Amino acid sequence: MIFVAVGTQFPFDRLIENMDQWAADYDEEVIAQIADGEYLPQNINWQRFLDPEQYNNYIKQASVFVSHAGMGNIISARQHNTPIIVMNRQFELGEHRNNHQADGIQWMAKLSGVYAAPTQAELYTLLCDTKALQVSSSTENEKLDRLVGFLGDYIETGTTN
Amino acid sequence: MTKKTKILAISSPGGHWIQLNKICNQLEDRFDVVYATPRAQYKSSAQQGKRKVYAITDASADSKLNLIPVTFQLLSILIRERPHTIISTGAAPGVMAVLLCKFLPIKTIWVDSIANVKVLSRSGKMVKKHANLVMTQWEDLSDEKTIFYRGSVL
Repeated sequence: MIFVAVGTQFPFDRLIENMDQWAADYDEEVIAQIADGEYLPQNINWQRFLDPEQYNNYIKQASVFVSHAGMGNIISARQHNTPIIVMNRQFELGEHRNNHQADGIQWMAKLSGVYAAPTQAELYTLLCDTKALQVSSSTENEKLDRLVGFLGDYIETGTTN
Repeated sequence: MTKKTKILAISSPGGHWIQLNKICNQLEDRFDVVYATPRAQYKSSAQQGKRKVYAITDASADSKLNLIPVTFQLLSILIRERPHTIISTGAAPGVMAVLLCKFLPIKTIWVDSIANVKVLSRSGKMVKKHANLVMTQWEDLSDEKTIFYRGSVL
């Protein structure tokens, strides 16, 4: 199953439409949270909003999570060890109030298990071979533990040693 | 029972707040953490019930006039809570807090946003000379003297 989510603040019809067209050609279950989008998918199982529990279950069950370039979804995907493909909203297409998601996918794509697909072509290429999308499960906690441990020691001792 | 050291954690909404939470969820094991952020963020915090969160005005470099109320709000929170250390992931409210603490006996920690891969954020550059500790989340940006790298939230 592929889970698709676009956040709750704005619609993201381009991503939903791309996934709907993809689902018409492939025999794979696709479930989508489409927010206030105008485009209503024909080939995928969609809802406008999901409760947080259901939302997290879908991320957990999905073989791939396809998402807008939102930090919250990246963090959730990492928590469930699900690879995530992110498509950025484009300011030029009226998809966001500024272009920060275009900058965002540049750093997001450096993280393990995060794949950037700014365009439909790149999205479809990644979906061709979902088994190649991998997450290394341990890196997130190691990096966070190290950072927090260092900060805690600094607060207590006042030194960086 | 010894009283835990008090930390004040400050950030603007969105990604900065998500990163601050990732860090502070764990710091809460060791410290008494209170928060300051614009009100809209409350509902996105899973543990909000147990937490002390101060509402501040949503100010940014694009809404400079709002920095005035934010400065007074932060000063009042600092006086009331008397934290040992403040920590911020950005942006504008964190800058104001770091600058205020320069004149108070309060340590300041800046953790630059993970979104800043190539150069320190604009607000990070502003506090670089003023914060007691400046962290980047990307190893390439660290010089190990003024900007440190010891991991990241992701």
